[in-house]
Amino acid sequence: MKSAPFTYVRPASVEEALHVLDEQAGAARILAGGQSLVPMLQMRLMQLDALVDINRLPGLDEVRAAGAETIFGPLVRYATIERLPLVAERLPLLQCVMRFVGDPQIRNRGTIGGSLAQADPTGEVPLSCLALDATIVAASVSGTREILIDDFLVSSYTTALEPGEMITEIRFPLAPHHFAFLERNRKHNDFAVVNVAVVGRRGSDGGWSDLRIALGGVSDRVVLAVESAALLEGTTLEEDAIAQAAQLALDVIDPPTDVRGTAEYRRHLVPVYVRRALSKLRDDHEPFDA
Amino acid sequence: MAEVVQTTRTSLREGRIGSSVSRKEDDRLLRGEGRFTDDVEPGHCLHMAVGRCPFPHARILSIDVSQAVALEGVEDVLVGSDVVSRSDPISVLRPVADAPDLGFYAMATDVAVFEGHPVVSVVAVSRHVAEDAIGLIDVDYEPLPHVFDVESAMDPRSPVLHPRVLKSNLLVKRLTGAGDPEARLAEADVVVEERFSINRVSPLPMETRAIVAEWQAGARELTVRHSTQVPHLVRKQLAESLRLEDGAVRVIATDVGGGFGLKLGIYPEDVLACLHAMRARRPVKWVEDRIEFFRASTHGRESVHSVRVGARSDGQITGMFDAYAVDSGGYNSPMGSPQLTSHMFTGPYRVNDAGTEHSVILTNKAPVGAYRGYGQPESCFVRELLIDRLACRLGRDRVELRAQNMLHSQDMPWQSTSGATYDSGDYEACLRMAAQAIGYEEHVKRGRGPGTDGRYTGVGLASFVERTGYASSKFLARRGSRFGAHESVTLRANRSGGVDVYNGVSTFGVGTETSFAQIVADVIGIDFDSVRVHLGDTGASPLNTGGFASRTLIASAGALRQAAEELRAKILRIGAFMLDSDPEDAVISRGVVCLRDDPNACLPLAEVYDRAIINQGMPPGEEPGLESGAQFEPEAAAYGYGTAAARVSVDPETGDFDVERFVMVHDCGTPVNPVLIDGQVLGGLAQGYGQAVMEELRYDEETGQLINGTMMDYFMPTAADLPEIELQHTFVKSPVTPFGVRGVGEVGTVPGCATIASAICDALADFGVEINRLPLSPESVWRALNQAKASREVRS
Amino acid sequence: MPERVEVTISVNGRKHRRQVEPRMHLADFLRHELGLTGTHIGCEQGVCGNCTVLVDGQAVKSCLMFAAQADGQRVTTVESLAEEELHPLQQAFKDAHALQCGYCTPGFLMAAAAIAAEGRRPSREELREELSGVICRCTGYENILIAVERYLEDRGEVEAVGG
Ligand SMILES: Cc1cc2nc3c(=O)[nH]c(=O)nc-3n(C[C@H](O)[C@H](O)[C@H](O)COP(=O)(O)OP(=O)(O)OC[C@H]3O[C@@H](n4cnc5c(N)ncnc54)[C@H](O)[C@@H]3O)c2cc1C
Repeated sequence: MKSAPFTYVRPASVEEALHVLDEQAGAARILAGGQSLVPMLQMRLMQLDALVDINRLPGLDEVRAAGAETIFGPLVRYATIERLPLVAERLPLLQCVMRFVGDPQIRNRGTIGGSLAQADPTGEVPLSCLALDATIVAASVSGTREILIDDFLVSSYTTALEPGEMITEIRFPLAPHHFAFLERNRKHNDFAVVNVAVVGRRGSDGGWSDLRIALGGVSDRVVLAVESAALLEGTTLEEDAIAQAAQLALDVIDPPTDVRGTAEYRRHLVPVYVRRALSKLRDDHEPFDA
Repeated sequence: MAEVVQTTRTSLREGRIGSSVSRKEDDRLLRGEGRFTDDVEPGHCLHMAVGRCPFPHARILSIDVSQAVALEGVEDVLVGSDVVSRSDPISVLRPVADAPDLGFYAMATDVAVFEGHPVVSVVAVSRHVAEDAIGLIDVDYEPLPHVFDVESAMDPRSPVLHPRVLKSNLLVKRLTGAGDPEARLAEADVVVEERFSINRVSPLPMETRAIVAEWQAGARELTVRHSTQVPHLVRKQLAESLRLEDGAVRVIATDVGGGFGLKLGIYPEDVLACLHAMRARRPVKWVEDRIEFFRASTHGRESVHSVRVGARSDGQITGMFDAYAVDSGGYNSPMGSPQLTSHMFTGPYRVNDAGTEHSVILTNKAPVGAYRGYGQPESCFVRELLIDRLACRLGRDRVELRAQNMLHSQDMPWQSTSGATYDSGDYEACLRMAAQAIGYEEHVKRGRGPGTDGRYTGVGLASFVERTGYASSKFLARRGSRFGAHESVTLRANRSGGVDVYNGVSTFGVGTETSFAQIVADVIGIDFDSVRVHLGDTGASPLNTGGFASRTLIASAGALRQAAEELRAKILRIGAFMLDSDPEDAVISRGVVCLRDDPNACLPLAEVYDRAIINQGMPPGEEPGLESGAQFEPEAAAYGYGTAAARVSVDPETGDFDVERFVMVHDCGTPVNPVLIDGQVLGGLAQGYGQAVMEELRYDEETGQLINGTMMDYFMPTAADLPEIELQHTFVKSPVTPFGVRGVGEVGTVPGCATIASAICDALADFGVEINRLPLSPESVWRALNQAKASREVRS
Repeated sequence: MPERVEVTISVNGRKHRRQVEPRMHLADFLRHELGLTGTHIGCEQGVCGNCTVLVDGQAVKSCLMFAAQADGQRVTTVESLAEEELHPLQQAFKDAHALQCGYCTPGFLMAAAAIAAEGRRPSREELREELSGVICRCTGYENILIAVERYLEDRGEVEAVGG
């Protein structure tokens, strides 16, 4: 289980990294945390001419607040997200899900950018980025562009990134403060059978707005239950409404069958988990946003 | 009445029998200074990689190795025809009685019979380059229809895996039992009947298999470092396959990173590494990687059972029968398929009419070999679940029904219908203790729920008897075994005052170095610290059998005791002579020999040893030297037993369940080292838990390929997955073993599946849920719930 | 000839300069280049964690990092713990019978050392999660949890390892 040979490049700047990616025309990849890429190389499921190690590039591992926005460098590690007060304050969902990714060693290495580029259909990072409506900033030799998370995630392990592109930033808009997250695994912190992240804002009248419901493990990518959320807009999340919304979530899923569960079981779990997540959202928090 | 060991711990001297002295093995392992096979690398070592068939069943049409041979750093390549011309088939150590020999070589020749079957091997300057070379080899396969499971294997339209030897895929079918189970079942007031499926799992030691082979051409001598539980058997098998004298092969197994039955005997890669070393005249190392491991190391278990139990209306069990088929995979591996299912089928119950029909069937999957428990978790699962259902049918309490049918200590020794002779024990005591500990009665009173969280609570129980060690070679001979039953030891006093122990088992985690030293220290009367145990080197140990079947301690204890007594007598004779006294008046105490009545008349042991070794001033007629050796063959197996109990809560909406408590009550006979015993039982229980709720090797029915052959997809429990385990012991001496010990190496694996399944079925009894297959996942529980609801609807 | 890169890695306080193939992972580097065979390889897929070491004080799985990436960094392995006597963490493992075959043990020791170095004292339940990145097949984990818990309790002022 040893990787095939490759050239190791440690660029001094993002520009240099982009140049290498450009020159190699698809035969090179960024090496970030390595927690997905290295196993694939070692199993020889993938062979590359070059790896572009961005771990030493300065500034890529920072999180900063810019007005209402919160901006992450691609190299911010899970362990950092887990501990950073800024994240706890502004994006509590993102912080909460970290505990469900792998184990402490994985979290010391794995990065937010790597996880997004990996686009695992059960990934907690893509799931919460979708729930939180993130924007991905991608750069290449020909410039940068912004990609909405919903456009960025294409299908299983496939994103909208072009071969010469690198994620340079992940931007989060102001997030509703209330959230709930549930996940079902076959073993502790394994890739999810299904997971659900919901966020929303409760007004002083008890009515809910800005709801987003994201689902993982139920399609070839993490998906949003848009109709379900719309149905609940303005309600107080009473049982009936939740039940209806939960049922409606079935419209957006197309679950796979794999060693973790069959499509049939996942289909059964989705309304149950959506319902439970929404109830948790309603019951767990302060009456309204301060 | 059974003799119960007194275990007042205050009376125990450090390092003697019964003391929880800490382990001799620990210091080096904790420092990272153990010597596992991959830790040693001879100079100029080459590294082997193996090319494997990606299909479950395929004809090999051609192999083009030209590009690989041309790659810089590649030193040698082997294909099937080389292997056939230069080696003999690998011998099966433990054939299923009456089964024909399939004769498998170290490499597929014309047809590969499972995914992972070796078809080509390369040695090169590094493992990296060897793998590069494998990637350059072009094998032309003709995929053949494959056999997926035991049912389809017996379909007359299915391909036959070994047409030269067999007419079908049935390797052998055997009937065992006594009395007339069919008649009893026919006349029984109640008969319950079920079909059960046991999952295929991996023993999964953390260290994969590994070998370093060195051929000294001038001396025609092969030295092999090997990760094995049985160095002497490996030596025999390698010599046979490589057409060498046994004496030309030396096997060294120092530290072994777990075995669990998977490291018994040789595998094809071992022969390949040696063939390469002999041809390239350079040392060759092969360390199995985890991807190969899942495909080419033996798997454990997998069987399908049709079981019946008949009883009178008063609850007395009158007849039992289990017709089961074991999925053995592509060929019969050196340890064959599990063979204790039939042996332990009736468990702790008094049944005079019972039997089994045991079929071993070949399929296009990796071969099944021994795995901790060796068939006993299977029989416990099917029997105990069926007894729960019998209780339900009879409207009887599960604990009382078990107690009513259990054997009592005054019944023993008792011969079961399979011929097992249970030596001693108080089975009901364990059952009652387990029921008490788990709060069985309170649970029955309180009911199953649902609780405010909507979850249902259930309590499960499983009782068992477990064979530990095995009986004599005569017993084995009737079953065609290619190994014996004896253990042996050499003790050697050395001039610095210590005693060396030489034994042919290896160190794979069970604390052998420690428990052996405890016995020797205890019998001779010397310090535990003065005993040094040298294990696992066939060049430095008397011939023995090896470490498996929970037998290491049972069988070795006899040899250790005998050799230690001999050494002790000689030390006393020489010491007494030096003190001008008689041996009867001398005693050994810690580092000295002294006179019983005159503690001042005292000699350091080192002086006594020195005398003997240089043979100066010895008693007349005494032989020089201070060394003793003994062989010991146990006359009988000791039967461990116990009851496990679990409490679970189940979410009926999703099938999700949580094992809230797990209790194990177990008899370990005389405890040589109580802490090590707990360690063995806990570890076994964790494996049983894994098999019960998550582990399963799954093949794709369509492609015949392994679906989850990575650590990522084969679910193994982590620290965060296991419930806390509550352990209790009883201490009934076995009358048939040295010191009254019972083996403890495997017992933990036995009751886990049955106990948890029983608890889940109990929790969901109001829905009529019955669970018949492993592993138990939330999804499988949900499915069982759906099925139960559907069949209720049909009935109503 | 395969391409090589030069690395300088400080391991247990000693600097080592080597030419390595970029594809050599850190575990292989420690074991086969430096002869530090206490770091064990159990899967090379990042799951079993038996190869856990500290890189700049943080626990990582050394099979999922190439040696080239550790250039200029500080690596701490199991060999750093004991001097003449066992390190108290190792002693705690010995006292609690927290090892059987001993193959996974260095992984647990380094994962625990990282917790200690951060001065944390997780509860039993948290500890189960904290140690879930190392897999043991022999012990059933119970005694490992006890050993680490006792060590973290008894540690008091004792200096943290691996920092
Ligand atoms: C044992 C184990 C358990 C795990 N459990 C989970 C889990 O429960 N949930 C989960 O979501 N994940 C899990 N993972 C995967 C983990 O989250 C990975 O860290 C993640 O998928 C990839 O992030 P990385 O930084 O390690 O990326 P890498 O492995 O370095 O890269 C992954 C991919 O992203 C690309 N890439 C990386 N950074 C960039 C960038 N800035 N721009 C463009 N492309 C980039 C790489 O080229 C590569 O194709 C687990 C991994 C392991 C080994």
